[in-house]
Amino acid sequence: MAESAAPPRARRVAWLAGDSIADSRQAPMRTILLFLAPALLVYAAFTIYPVLRTFYNSVHTIGPRNVQTFVGLDNFAALLTQDRVFWKAVVNTALFTVVGTIGDVLGGLLLALCLFAKVPLARTLRVVWFTPVLMSYVVVGIIWVWLYDYDWGLVNLLLGWLGLESWQQSWLGDPATALWALVVTHLWKWLGFNMIIFLAALHALPEEVLGAAELDNCGWFAKLVYIIIPMLRPTLVNLLVLSFIGKMMMFDLVWIMTGGGPLWSTETVSTYVYKRAFNWNTFDLGYPSAIAVLWFIMILLFVMLITRLLRSRDRLEF
Amino acid sequence: MRLWLNHLRRTPLVLFLILYTILAGGPFLWVMSMSLRTTPEIFDNPYALPVRLHWEKFANAWTNSNYGTYFWNSLIVVVTAVALLTLIGAMAAHCLARYRFRGSRLVRFVILSGMILPPQLLILSLFQILLDYGLYNSLAGLIIVYVATQLAMTVYILEGFFAQLPQDLFDAARMDGYGDFEIFWRITLPIGVPAIFTTITLNFIILWNEYLYAVVLLTDDEKRTLPLGIMHFMGGHQLDVGMIATGLIIAIAPVILLYALFSETMIKGMTAGAVR
Repeated sequence: MAESAAPPRARRVAWLAGDSIADSRQAPMRTILLFLAPALLVYAAFTIYPVLRTFYNSVHTIGPRNVQTFVGLDNFAALLTQDRVFWKAVVNTALFTVVGTIGDVLGGLLLALCLFAKVPLARTLRVVWFTPVLMSYVVVGIIWVWLYDYDWGLVNLLLGWLGLESWQQSWLGDPATALWALVVTHLWKWLGFNMIIFLAALHALPEEVLGAAELDNCGWFAKLVYIIIPMLRPTLVNLLVLSFIGKMMMFDLVWIMTGGGPLWSTETVSTYVYKRAFNWNTFDLGYPSAIAVLWFIMILLFVMLITRLLRSRDRLEF
Repeated sequence: MRLWLNHLRRTPLVLFLILYTILAGGPFLWVMSMSLRTTPEIFDNPYALPVRLHWEKFANAWTNSNYGTYFWNSLIVVVTAVALLTLIGAMAAHCLARYRFRGSRLVRFVILSGMILPPQLLILSLFQILLDYGLYNSLAGLIIVYVATQLAMTVYILEGFFAQLPQDLFDAARMDGYGDFEIFWRITLPIGVPAIFTTITLNFIILWNEYLYAVVLLTDDEKRTLPLGIMHFMGGHQLDVGMIATGLIIAIAPVILLYALFSETMIKGMTAGAVR
């Protein structure tokens, strides 16, 4: 309150005269630095520096007691040409990502449309359907490990009641089904999230357009395909990208439910990075860093590709 | 007749709604019922309701299985991290939204780019860095890592909201002789409460559930957070389904309680980053 020595009237006059102190968009550099300093410090020390260090590590081998040897692109070469587990992990992650993302977006849209159709108790249903989103992967993973259990899991019990005993199997123990069992669990957790976003977008649609479609005797399917989906396009693109990024980095659920097994059938790139760094007792952080760097570049490229593709088609339409 | 036909047409929809509601909410009710039953009872019939409510299992889990420690660790880490995030994030967001200065675009770009960094790119070197700084295997280290990882999203949400506040308000405050920090403390923060609430819920849920950073950066049993504690207990007592279920309920109880009270706020919070 140092400047309150001047009477308010004088200050107001100074402001009218264009005194720079009174322009509230301006502030001394010192003040600005003070506001930004805590964020920038934390960010520099615990985000920027680690990222740079990971890039640095990726071209080194890090031996015991932190002895670092420069190896150039050897890690990347070994990764791309010799590492069969890595490629297995890439295929798994790609399958998981493509199927999971499509399932997420379509399923979320379907659920949102159900609630949009003016069903009774829509608000309550919305709250219940969203609950899995709030649960940790640890909680969700353990519950689903039980549900998939061969002897007493609900999935096999239901199949038994339906007379489909031949379909019963160890869902997480069989390399043929484990990955898809994980996809189902992941969908279960995230569908509610996509549903909420779609629902908000649906409620924001202009009523007149939907009303006009009804007057034109447009069937609900035609209305969905020709009116609702094109108008939801920005939301769709957003959710596709979000869901895509999330699944490319998938770690927790896989780690908790299968640990990447059986026989690498659910190994994702992220679980493989973790294993190479902390579980294989090679104590080399260089090689897993190379995987992380390569994968980050892949994610970036794909996100750019998706947004470019979907946005350029937008431009053609107008 | 027509009404009746309409009802018939909607039957599959209603059936689907009921089925999906059971699918989404059922598992939690199931775990809740198991958390009050003993393991022998569960193995007798996993899907029966509790005959006698074994509340003592919660006391047992809290003291004998160390869930009390895990719970407090989680609470300390999450509350401190969320408080720091809110303050630091709001300061940066206020500065970026309010002032014109050289380099503001660069600062914004650098901070917000943190939202697309995969954890794998950070986790390996954070492990080394925390070892170097002597913060490895400490709650303080985990807290600061949590602040760093959630900062980008916090600033993103808050800045979007702060930027929409009318400039007149700040001109008037300046005319009345408010200093820059008074403006932040007495105008931006109180008016920004809805957005701040959103980031608090979002960060609270994400960090309460966080597993990857915690599992890499903590090793002592006395320092484990709840997700780690449950996995640890699960590792040693794979077959004690009843006790694991009790642990799960302890882990989700705060979230469920908050959700029961503020479901709208929490839904808004969790989806805040995706809407705009």
